[in-house]
Amino acid sequence: MRIRFLCNNEQRDLEIDPSLRAIDLLRDILGLTGTKEGCGKGECGACTILVNGKPVSSCIMLAAKLDGTRVETIEGVKGKDEELHPLQQAFLEEGAVQCGFCTPGMILSSKALLEEKSKPTEEEIQEALSGNFCRCTGYGKILKAVKKAGQLLEEKR
Amino acid sequence: MEYLKPKKIEEAVTFAEKRDRSLYIAGGTDLSILFFDSKIKPEVLIDITDLEELKILEERKEGLYLGAAVLISQLANLKTIKWMPLCLAQGAGAIGSPQIRNLATLGGNICNASPCGDTLAPLVVLDAVFKLRSTQGIREVPVLDFFIGPKRTIRKEKELLEAVIIPKESLNGISGFFKTGKRKGQTISQVNSAVYIKKEGGRVSKIRIAAGSVAPTPIRLKKAEEAVIKGNLEEIESAVLEEIKPISDIRGSEEYRRIVTAKAIKEMVVILLKEDSRNEN
Amino acid sequence: MKEKEYSVIGKRVNKVDGLELVTGKARFTGDLRFPGMLYGYAKRSDSPAGMIKSIDISKAQAAPGVHLVFTGENIPGPNLIGILPPFDQTLLAKDKVRYAGESVAFVVAETKTQAKAAASQVTLDIEPTKPVLTLDDALDPASPKIHANGNVTFSRNLIKGDVDLGFAEADVIVEGVYETSYQEHAYIEPEAVCVVPGGDGRITIYASCQSPFHLRGHIAANIGQPASKVRVVQSYTGGSFGGKDDVAVEIGALAALAAVKLGRPVMVSHDREESIIGSNLRHPSRIKYKTGAKKDGTLVAKQVEILLDGGAYASESPFVTMKALIHAAGPYRIPNVHIKSTALYTNKTYSGAFRGFGVPQVTFASESQMDELAAKLGMDPVELRKKNALLPGDSNATGQVFKESVGILDTLQVIEREREKLEDFKEDNHYLYGTGISSMLQGISNGAEGIDVVGASVQMSQDGSVLVGIGLTELGQGSRTVFAQIASEVLGVPLEKVTVKTVDTDAVHDSGPTVASRSTTVGGKAVLTAAEAVKESLVTMAGLMFKSPGAPVVLKDNFAILEASPEARIPLDQVATAAYWTGFPLMNLTFSKAPPSNYDHDTHQGDIYVAYNYGSHLVQVRIDKITGEVTVLRHLACHDVGKVINPKGLEGQVEGGSLIGFGLAHMEKIVHSPEGRIINSNFADYAVPTIKDRIPTEVVSIERPTSNGPFGAKGVGEPPVAGTASAFANAISAALGKRVKKLPVTKEDILIHLSERDKK
Repeated sequence: MRIRFLCNNEQRDLEIDPSLRAIDLLRDILGLTGTKEGCGKGECGACTILVNGKPVSSCIMLAAKLDGTRVETIEGVKGKDEELHPLQQAFLEEGAVQCGFCTPGMILSSKALLEEKSKPTEEEIQEALSGNFCRCTGYGKILKAVKKAGQLLEEKR
Repeated sequence: MEYLKPKKIEEAVTFAEKRDRSLYIAGGTDLSILFFDSKIKPEVLIDITDLEELKILEERKEGLYLGAAVLISQLANLKTIKWMPLCLAQGAGAIGSPQIRNLATLGGNICNASPCGDTLAPLVVLDAVFKLRSTQGIREVPVLDFFIGPKRTIRKEKELLEAVIIPKESLNGISGFFKTGKRKGQTISQVNSAVYIKKEGGRVSKIRIAAGSVAPTPIRLKKAEEAVIKGNLEEIESAVLEEIKPISDIRGSEEYRRIVTAKAIKEMVVILLKEDSRNEN
Repeated sequence: MKEKEYSVIGKRVNKVDGLELVTGKARFTGDLRFPGMLYGYAKRSDSPAGMIKSIDISKAQAAPGVHLVFTGENIPGPNLIGILPPFDQTLLAKDKVRYAGESVAFVVAETKTQAKAAASQVTLDIEPTKPVLTLDDALDPASPKIHANGNVTFSRNLIKGDVDLGFAEADVIVEGVYETSYQEHAYIEPEAVCVVPGGDGRITIYASCQSPFHLRGHIAANIGQPASKVRVVQSYTGGSFGGKDDVAVEIGALAALAAVKLGRPVMVSHDREESIIGSNLRHPSRIKYKTGAKKDGTLVAKQVEILLDGGAYASESPFVTMKALIHAAGPYRIPNVHIKSTALYTNKTYSGAFRGFGVPQVTFASESQMDELAAKLGMDPVELRKKNALLPGDSNATGQVFKESVGILDTLQVIEREREKLEDFKEDNHYLYGTGISSMLQGISNGAEGIDVVGASVQMSQDGSVLVGIGLTELGQGSRTVFAQIASEVLGVPLEKVTVKTVDTDAVHDSGPTVASRSTTVGGKAVLTAAEAVKESLVTMAGLMFKSPGAPVVLKDNFAILEASPEARIPLDQVATAAYWTGFPLMNLTFSKAPPSNYDHDTHQGDIYVAYNYGSHLVQVRIDKITGEVTVLRHLACHDVGKVINPKGLEGQVEGGSLIGFGLAHMEKIVHSPEGRIINSNFADYAVPTIKDRIPTEVVSIERPTSNGPFGAKGVGEPPVAGTASAFANAISAALGKRVKKLPVTKEDILIHLSERDKK
């Protein structure tokens, strides 16, 4: 079957098998390996992508459901003029990255949150990231990074 | 395997009728896993996610009309619609994680009929009615008749859950939802429960209490309700304990489930009784 | 080590490999793509124990997309792997199955889906034998023997002084039995390898791993090739914590066999279920502990019997057994100690290395005992620990004396001070509160586990940029950054001009495994040595350029500066260029060795570690009386780390390790069915903490430098696990008024206890 969707602002038009998973479409067909598979059951959040601005688990999603949508993966996250997005900047500066495997999913979930609320409370950040597991950091610096990114984004406005 | 995306609801049920081994799929958060693991092997997937009729979310004469494909994330947001009952919004908000809630649907949570489904106890205390459609026509089934066992419902294979109606009478009053799981984030319920109370003239005129994961289906706790009507709050816990029959499994022990359900329901009743009788939003 | 102003040491620098991680550009093993790449998947036994009668691979061979299927019969090498002697583990089980989940056949196909489908078509005929599933089963002489030599994997003693005399002198004695459960690493990236034939007779294994040299040796042996034909390159690795090396060897060797036979690249990447069932777990333990003290609190004797459930294969049980042995007495001065530590075989997934490595288990027991002793003596738990805390010059449980870098008392003083600031909550209708502390120690470097060597290289190019090579792996713990900081500091080159390359077994000396919190200490020393050698060339060259041959020259801020008159300065790239053209070496390849351990193998008395990290933790908890749910209100982790090289990285390590300790103590438990199969091999039923479960860890560092570490630094990767788990257990015990004897103590356990308490 044929699907058409916007991926990181680029129009895509593909012929796919209906049984294809969204994550495999991204990683294997489009070569966008930034989205990771950690559990295959929608439990760990490593496969998080944004579809129409909302975070979803791409490992339990049929690729067919991407038809007609706007998809964002980590490869599409940038600041102005090819700089880093404030979230990427903040994650680096706050030490919120250790092994980095959860980082793409973490950044995308955070991006969706900050687009909705520029000054989220700690509780709101925890709720927004409750589906993104991290085993390395203990989450403390991730919280700090999201708050800092929110501030950076406010300043830019 | 074929993938169909009908544009109208009649098309959807017609496809299902005509094709063997077809499956309705919306968010797919339960079904996709089974399907990707080859535990189920449908010949046809009928994607009903974008059917207009299933996305309706409005207040009607008979009550709140919720299309089956309304997203769990929409239900979880009290601002989505004025009369959203609190217990239903809380139940929806307690499901999984944001990533799951942005895909999952009300209809999916209902038809999956897991004993720990978080919208189920709220739907029970709200006296919800389920609208089912097939090529044979439409039928409406009250919530308690719908669930017949763990992951088993009276929905026939070709029938499509079209909508959930929360009767107008259930929209006044106050309600609450409780859930506990093995961890605080993204967790499957070890037990959950919901309470709905309507007060008139300072007295309880209506009370409904339901619990999930303590029996093969979500159940009403009539003895506990009686205790509240009689004003015997000290008897609520023992009344609950008489009616629930939890089991021990990987998620929780029978003993824990018994203790926490009784305590939580008592606590919820006490809190709700203290609140002014008001409309919820 | 003098106190001096450093340029990058001690500064909050960003992780040097962070950019590629936040942009998603870093390629983990599963992201690699090679033309013609095939996928491998194993068939696993469902039975925990039995004799293999036959394995039928015919249906699998005929399945769509399949190129190759093989069993243990087809392995050219010895079909033996294992981290340590007795190397008793098979790549593919041949005659006997020893745990549910063990691999018995390997399928290679065009796609992973096809390989998995074909693997399910392999039929296994097993004659089941009675599985040995508990410690008591394993100890029972009537039980079936899992291995030829019986069911004891390894056993050792630590004997200091005379415990019988010690107890005779004691005024007060406490005794107890403590248990801990299986814990799963749950790194977010499951295990993966990709083996690529080079077309030059060599193969390259890209692996998510901790011990590339270990992989090289075992893979070469099993494919029947010399190690010099095998190259292992560590990919970006999504966490390991000790969990990936057994499996990396297993799937690396299987993929290598297929790659060599088929002449094509072969990828294996585990499902989450495979990762949980088919890779090592933390040893469950049962520890019998007896402590004797004088009425003023002076410890006089400790007697401990440790039993560890090692599962089906030895893996790292021998070392975990020894480490548990060495640490069980705690960071205290005790004249009489007798510890026996034993690992046993059972028919379950094998236990092995997991951050902490035996120390969390024994610390839970030891710190519970200290609180019980304090209660019996009517002493404050902090006072009791302060009274007995090791001081420089004291002899520890192995009789080793450290004259420097013993900061346990400092950490206790911090805890004592902060404990005063805690709000004194009282129980009410809704909540119950408790506070607990713990003290611990963790040896840094391989210690008794054998040779501790690291290879490193430092190369400066003519443009003044620096390339660092190292044999220890970056797993997220920030070692690459620490190595870059060390090279940057020594050579005076800004951090942005230092690159630490991927770990490649072709490039440096065999460095053993990246374990035991040794990266900063032993690894750092190797980089330091190599950098110093290159520095010498630059300093000599600069002296010539200053026309002051042999004059003291400082390298700083990208300049060579004449110490006698600092206005005289030359940019480093000019010095480097000149050095090259004059013939001074700008690259050094080195090998650094930790001082060897030297101890009696029967009593474990002697010098074992180059240094110890010491720590004390403080935890305050609030318990919800309706659900039993626990919220940690405050957690303070104070460690003597010698010298803080990267504060941000160090905090991250302590915060991360602490949450793993919290998981061990409160939330996580691998559960086996009565038949011996793991029944919660997924993230829904195995409660890995989410961000909503996090604990508010505050990190305080004490610096008592060691001359055995670069700039005085010791490691800190593992210690917080033990510190947090034991302080949490003590806090819950205080809240409930009942000693927690078994970990995890879950909200269920807590609510059930409260319910029984209320009935009385």
